[in-house]
Amino acid sequence: MNIPLLYIEDDQEIGSFVCQHLKDQGYDVRWQKSGEGAVEAAAGCKLVILDVMLPGLDGFTVGQRLKKSAPDTPILMLSARTSIDDKLQGLQFADDYLTKPFHPDELTARVEVLLRRSGSRSAEPLVVKHLLVHEEQNRVENRDTGEEITLTGKQFHIFSYMLRHMGQILTKEQIYEAVWGEAFIEGDKTLMVHIRYLREKIERNPAAPEVIETVRGIGYRVRQ
Amino acid sequence: MKKVKQRSRAMRFRQTLLSRYLLIILFAFLFIPIVFPIASILYVVIQENTKASDENFLKYGSSNELAAMWHEQASQLQENDAALIDRTLQQLKQTYPEASLFWVDSAGQTRLQLPPQKQLQLQWNAADAIQFMKASINQDPFTVVSFFGPDHSETGFMVLQLPRSIIQMERPLGTGTPLYIAFLIMMFAFFFLVSLLFFRSIRKRLLSMQAAMSLHGDNGLPQPIILKKHDEIGQLEMAFNDMVVQLQESKEREYEEEQLRKQLISSLSHDLRTPLTVMSGHLYSLKKETLSPSGQASVKQLGQKIASIDSLIENLLSYTLMTSGRYPLSLTEQDVLRILRESAASWYPLWEQAGIAAEIELPDEPMLHAVDKAALRRVFDNLFQNVTRHAASGAFIGLSVELFQQRTAIVIRDHGRGLEAESASKGYGIGLAIVDYLLKEMKLDWHTESSSEGTSIFIIV
Repeated sequence: MNIPLLYIEDDQEIGSFVCQHLKDQGYDVRWQKSGEGAVEAAAGCKLVILDVMLPGLDGFTVGQRLKKSAPDTPILMLSARTSIDDKLQGLQFADDYLTKPFHPDELTARVEVLLRRSGSRSAEPLVVKHLLVHEEQNRVENRDTGEEITLTGKQFHIFSYMLRHMGQILTKEQIYEAVWGEAFIEGDKTLMVHIRYLREKIERNPAAPEVIETVRGIGYRVRQ
Repeated sequence: MKKVKQRSRAMRFRQTLLSRYLLIILFAFLFIPIVFPIASILYVVIQENTKASDENFLKYGSSNELAAMWHEQASQLQENDAALIDRTLQQLKQTYPEASLFWVDSAGQTRLQLPPQKQLQLQWNAADAIQFMKASINQDPFTVVSFFGPDHSETGFMVLQLPRSIIQMERPLGTGTPLYIAFLIMMFAFFFLVSLLFFRSIRKRLLSMQAAMSLHGDNGLPQPIILKKHDEIGQLEMAFNDMVVQLQESKEREYEEEQLRKQLISSLSHDLRTPLTVMSGHLYSLKKETLSPSGQASVKQLGQKIASIDSLIENLLSYTLMTSGRYPLSLTEQDVLRILRESAASWYPLWEQAGIAAEIELPDEPMLHAVDKAALRRVFDNLFQNVTRHAASGAFIGLSVELFQQRTAIVIRDHGRGLEAESASKGYGIGLAIVDYLLKEMKLDWHTESSSEGTSIFIIV
């Protein structure tokens, strides 16, 4: 079944193009040109894509109403306003902020990330190289052998944080602070040790890792 | 009209600190000639009031009373009744034991002496008597001479002598007494106190004004002062209040302008970007069509141009905002290398895509400096963007920490054709202007070395 999305955009040209693109990606897009009745229209939608400059109610107001009525539905702001003030105002309630002009592939990537984060996509296991990851069940499977890989809590936490930021390079400070929830102290080897053990479990050849890539001088990355 | 003005000027003068100061000075000048007579008058008054008590205090009453008593006694005696005179004097001696008494008969012979006095002459003539009386006036002992007879007509006389200490207070009232000095000191102290109070009131008001100037309200401006007096300090306070009001107004105006400018930039940004979005959308659709190789090349070119116009708009708007002070930086001590790594992390995929090999050699130890995180990210982003866009031909980017002119510097190196080859028309200029502006704001020096072999940017930390 296609995932239903609500798209609010007043510009005819951008709207029809984005609508078509998202439909091509397999989403069920409901496009409306103003913020009026957005709350009702959002019922049943898994995600809302919202323009800021709208006739009548502006995007910020519509966004706040939507968040109030359905706090779990992620909102992606799509705006030509790039000032930091606008972004900060938007991110008070929105889950992501994308500025125009954007690449359509970036839009779909961000939509995917938001859906995965909100759990709307979690039913499907994630395929990463030779691994099959069932995030909601905290389970990792080796597709080659069909064996289940047992990870410790911290290892799974680190891995799933990387999966949620698929394709992004994460510095060791970012990973440490996200997983341990405290400030990274320079020279701390804890994270490196955890990643070494994690690689021993999930990599085909831990000496030449494919899943968790080391980006020299910067950090780590997981790519699909 | 003129009169009114003059009157108001006169009134205003009375309210001035100058007038009050002059009053005090005048008071000081008049002090001595006025205070001394006042002190004397006060003394007379005090003396009158304390007389009765003085008399009670004196053993035999005042000198006048003693003299009256002596004359009374003499009027009742007659010189030929020597026995009565002797008796009377002996009785009086008992009443006044400290007194020296004697009497002289009409023949000028000194008779009874109580007690006997060695120096006392024994024979008197009229001249001697007058001389004695003259010499006794206002002298110690206090002397009363009284001739005998009901109307003191006889030539014999009797004399009473008493030490003055018995008939007068020990400290006779008058100038030079400690009480008088105390009064003068009190007056001086009063003058001193008045001057002190005057000075203190000025000082207090000046201090409260200083406090008002340094205390800031919610709007970051000093609060107006409540006016109490209309003297010079009052006028200063009034001017200060005017200034606060003006400051408030200009701040409000500035805020409105700032809002207007932000609004304008937002709308401008929106209006410029919307058509770009449409163009890139169409380009994306076009890319999916089957195109000839030259068509594909054109689409790619168009895509790049759209991206560069986009970043140009972004930089232009940011630069306008920044240079007009709309981006206040908040500097906090942070690891600069961590920010560099995070920025590099987000650019890395683009470098890979563009075939740029990244060589990152950064130390693990933090490099701390007071920076604004967002601003420093912006600096790195702009520099990386330039490398990605203009130096991709070198297929190399190097990030390292090196010594530059004996100072530690972050070095961003590429193997492009150098800054000279990349003209400002390609959008290089504005990005670097932002870098320059932000680094200066964060008090970081930077230096560029560029040749046709490549460019190195040193940010000295």
